[in-house]
Amino acid sequence: MTSNIRNPLSTLKCNLAAACAAAALLIAASGAQAADLNALIWCDHSDPALLQPFEQANNVKVNVKEFEGTGAGLAIVEQSQPGDWDVMVIDSIDVPRGVEKGLFEPLPEDKLPFGDLFPQVKMDKSTIVDGKRYGITEKFGYNTIGFNKTKVDPADMQSLASLTSDKYKGKVAIYDYYLPVIGMAALAIGKKTADLTEADLPALKEELLKMKANAKLVGEVTASQTALATGEVDVLVGGGEWVTAGLAKENPALDFSIPKEGAVLWSQSLAMFKDSKNKDMALKFIQYILSPEGQARLATSSCYWGMPSNTKAALTDDQKKVLRFDEQPGFLSRAQAYPAPNADLDKKMQDMWTEMLQAK
Amino acid sequence: MHRAVRIVSWLYALAVYAFIFLPVVVLVLFSLQSTSFPIPPFTGPSLRWYEAVLSDTRLTSALVNSLLVASISSLAAVTLGFLSAWGFARFVLPGSALLRGLITLPLTVSYLIIGMGLLVLFNWAGVPKSLLAAGIGHVVINLPLCFAIIYSQMGDHQVNIERAARDLGAPEWKVLLLITVPVMAPAIFAGFFLSMTFSWDEFVISFLLTRFETTLPVEIWNLLRSGLNPKTNAVGSLVFAVSIVLVVLFELTLLRRKPA
Amino acid sequence: MNPVANNGPGRGAGRALPWALVTPALGWTLAFFVLPFIAMGLSSLTAHEGGGFALSNYSQFFTNPSYLQAMVNSLQVTAIVTLVSVLLAYPFAWILAEQVPERWQRLALMLAVLPFWTSYVVRSYSWLLVLAQNGVINRVLTGSGLISEPLQLANTRLATVTGFVHFFVMLLTLTIFANLKQLSPSYRKAAADLGAGPVRTFLHVVLPLTLPGIMVGAFLTFVLCIGDYITPQILGGNNELLMPQLVMMQIGRRGDFPLASALSIILMAVVTVAYLACARWLKIERA
Repeated sequence: MTSNIRNPLSTLKCNLAAACAAAALLIAASGAQAADLNALIWCDHSDPALLQPFEQANNVKVNVKEFEGTGAGLAIVEQSQPGDWDVMVIDSIDVPRGVEKGLFEPLPEDKLPFGDLFPQVKMDKSTIVDGKRYGITEKFGYNTIGFNKTKVDPADMQSLASLTSDKYKGKVAIYDYYLPVIGMAALAIGKKTADLTEADLPALKEELLKMKANAKLVGEVTASQTALATGEVDVLVGGGEWVTAGLAKENPALDFSIPKEGAVLWSQSLAMFKDSKNKDMALKFIQYILSPEGQARLATSSCYWGMPSNTKAALTDDQKKVLRFDEQPGFLSRAQAYPAPNADLDKKMQDMWTEMLQAK
Repeated sequence: MHRAVRIVSWLYALAVYAFIFLPVVVLVLFSLQSTSFPIPPFTGPSLRWYEAVLSDTRLTSALVNSLLVASISSLAAVTLGFLSAWGFARFVLPGSALLRGLITLPLTVSYLIIGMGLLVLFNWAGVPKSLLAAGIGHVVINLPLCFAIIYSQMGDHQVNIERAARDLGAPEWKVLLLITVPVMAPAIFAGFFLSMTFSWDEFVISFLLTRFETTLPVEIWNLLRSGLNPKTNAVGSLVFAVSIVLVVLFELTLLRRKPA
Repeated sequence: MNPVANNGPGRGAGRALPWALVTPALGWTLAFFVLPFIAMGLSSLTAHEGGGFALSNYSQFFTNPSYLQAMVNSLQVTAIVTLVSVLLAYPFAWILAEQVPERWQRLALMLAVLPFWTSYVVRSYSWLLVLAQNGVINRVLTGSGLISEPLQLANTRLATVTGFVHFFVMLLTLTIFANLKQLSPSYRKAAADLGAGPVRTFLHVVLPLTLPGIMVGAFLTFVLCIGDYITPQILGGNNELLMPQLVMMQIGRRGDFPLASALSIILMAVVTVAYLACARWLKIERA
């Protein structure tokens, strides 16, 4: 009888002990992040090829959380405790939004390679607020027309009008991010992206609906990349080097153009949090990302490629060719900024986007 | 006539089997692809994507996280479920039907909504996102399941043995541990196993409630979003293989127990 | 038989014991299910900007046609999926239960639900590979000369429905099979003795007796399907939005929790209506 009692009891005890140990482990694991570097990032920064050299050199663990869109990123910060985050990737034009909320720490210009950046992408208008610099551009590129040059007439790709023409009906994918594609719609109807107001929405919507009528799918980064690379579609609205360059090895027929109407320039910045508990490491991280090696790794990250902002990025000649490094001055002169709506217009633009998704 | 029915049946069954297995076959086949796109033509076989998966620390640690969350949350769910099922089956409690209804209520609610609710609550309470938060959510979805399974199996058979034990003077805790738990073992085991399965495969709650450390389905989702390559096939095939082994083990142990 | 009637209050047990047994489960459900729901309700009544009381999150849903469209899409997809899954699974389960020899049944059933064990995210992704423009189906069809141009299968509602049906056919086969096996053979024999042919026996005896099982399975399908984000997100190509996608969009793009909460509550209200509609068949506990 005694042995009978002991057996289930001890089993239970063992189970309980194991459960407690495991639970303690869990709690410890979730609480042990204070000493690490916590980065709020876009998917290109989660590439181990980019992070590991930094982690090893500085003996630190970089915890990353991916997000898409400044609104979502700021919402994550708002739901966190002060000091939870050290660095953040943010659209260069949205740096002032973070500064307004009192989130960011000014960056020491003398410790960062500002002199080496492409002058057009420094974006001083938005990265400098009240004379202090809060963001440094790390990567940029274009939301324009990506295409498969063996399947389309490259001459057509010099005009945004082709996107809504019957010739490419059902052969088009739209990149599922509202700001740049709304920017492209603005270019198509002859508006400047920087001047968009609520009064432009009806005309923009009409243009978007025409694009949607031609489109086979509306996809996020991967879905739209895949659609183009596997031949699901021949043209990607909103595509650019960020789609075609990374896939050049797999599918050399992919290309992008800057049409005569221009293209939308995207530009991502790094910012440091004012409440960071690890500012030295945060600065080291930013320095690493902006270094020639870090720039090359970031530019060729597995999630998407893009132009490094540092002219000295340690890219190979092949990589430069794929990114069309030498053509940048011409491209930049024809590019327009990302639309930067205020909160109210932003909400209306998103609703317009939802409507576009629901349209046939 | 009978022959015709038989032939049509077989054809139908084969068609359904083909439908059910088509994506699995494609998944496993293209996990052996040697080039970067998991679409025809087949260029393998190659194990390079399996190597890529096993050397990816984010995936392997997510796998460990998933196992931890699944086993601990299932243990909690089955313990709470069992105790409450026993309580409701053994004693007359005021408002019993209502309370039982409350416990099973989460079964009728989408995971998305449960996850949303916890996200909003934790936000307000300042509870940080973590595996623990996701585990709490998994207990919420699995507790009603465990309760329903165990409660439905608490029958006269077990009640009579319990009564006999009590009549012989055994205290309640002894009855519970020595009679109820062993008699109910198959139901308890089934509840635990089902909870493991649901927790192991749950996406949206983990997606909403975790931050850096996350579970395997969320990490697979991240992988999927960072580029199309046969690595996703490889990790999917590995999960499939592990699950199959577990199912077979479960079948074997349960079959052994059943005759008792 | 009700266990309670058989039992009576435990002898020697204090009044505290029964509550000690049920309180942890009840407490958990209250703290992590009911309370979050209340929090979500309160959140849905606050404005995203400013945080004051507002009904705007609900009014947006009813005034914005593209939001309403998401609900319509969700209901349509869910209805189609539920119907098609039941129609596919029932004959299949019947074949497994009636036509397959007894000793092979367990294996046949195991095989039928085997793909259930691939990860759920991966399952949808696999369908994408199957249905893509250059995917397996299109390659086979064009290769064999049956069609000249590849069909558009991926990134459509058809793809979403296919992904869902695949999962729910497995689930329903399981529940309906269990239901069919529980039928006592004597019913069928009695029907046959009374002169009913196999067709009439099926229609008048087997089908009505398995209806409750079908309804339970169908309801489960409904709940799981209408709340699922992954399948339409991976397979639908964003050519239309379903409710869960709309909810996740509010969180993912703007961090708009109030609106996401309001949309979740509306979604839940719809599920509740469906639950009430088939409540008489849904006795999760034993009768």
